[in-house]
Amino acid sequence: MLEITYDVFARKNRGDMLSHIGYVDALDDETAKVYAWTTYSEENWFEMCVVPRSEIIPVNLTEGPFARARGAAS
Amino acid sequence: MRDFLNVAALEAEGRSALRRHILRLADSKRLMGIRYSDWNLGAPTVETGIAMSSMTQDEWGHARLLYAMLKELDVDPMEIEHDRPADGYANIRSVDEPFPDWAATVAGIVIVDGALSTAIAAFSRGSFEPAQSRCAKMVLEEEFHVSMGAAWYRRLAASSDEAKALLRQATDRFLPDALAWLGTEDEASRLMLDAGVTDSGPDLVVAFKDAVRAVLASGGVDVDAVQPAEGWDAARGRGPGQPDEDTVERARGDRNRALLVE
Repeated sequence: MLEITYDVFARKNRGDMLSHIGYVDALDDETAKVYAWTTYSEENWFEMCVVPRSEIIPVNLTEGPFARARGAAS
Repeated sequence: MRDFLNVAALEAEGRSALRRHILRLADSKRLMGIRYSDWNLGAPTVETGIAMSSMTQDEWGHARLLYAMLKELDVDPMEIEHDRPADGYANIRSVDEPFPDWAATVAGIVIVDGALSTAIAAFSRGSFEPAQSRCAKMVLEEEFHVSMGAAWYRRLAASSDEAKALLRQATDRFLPDALAWLGTEDEASRLMLDAGVTDSGPDLVVAFKDAVRAVLASGGVDVDAVQPAEGWDAARGRGPGQPDEDTVERARGDRNRALLVE
């Protein structure tokens, strides 16, 4: 099945730092939103965002999941 | 915002029609939750199973709130929830039996849950005060269900011939039921329309078709060419038939009856 990995970022309160809390594999942006909201439902999040992993640009590491996703997309 | 309905002033026919209206929605949501719960484990991916679990909770929560509205009519929700026989259930016919496969479940999310959402949205805009205050959150939660159903429907519609055939089979089964269930203009529905409780059947059908037209077209289905199912049980406001015994036992909580503490 062709799925896309999305990284999930969230913060509990206004003013908190947005933190990486995990990832989901989803069909598209819309299902990524559904999966992220239902999978990481242990907190009453003030804000949650999802980002396709391939859109994250590694700054200093040339290995690891973000570099691999970026390389696969380019 | 229109004036609230004065429930106490309703004649017997009006009270009966409101009771039927609430039960059609509540029973459909309760059984929809059971159908979703069948896929909490065994869905195509872990994330999908978690989403189905969340949607199960949504549907059962919505059903609970809807059953509680019967108190406005001096009807005891406990008896309704735990003691009715199968032939008393007013749910949309498509959830009488389990969804046989994932493709049918996806079609059920789009069509059956979609029809329910259309009806709930109209109920929330209507004159029945408890629906105005309690159904708005249901409409918001259902937006996630729509996203889930649409994405999966499009994915299956573009996949293997077997998946496409199963999706079409379920769509052809569910769509006529949904059109008949929403579009009825029987006496009880007219009473609810006159009381401002909900929209007319034809208006509900237009709203539903607008909501699902594009996603169903991805599977080659022209929603405007489909006719509503024939056969109607006016007492319950649904097509003929009833849920199977296993479903009703689960809905009533028969296996945990000894633990009922309410």
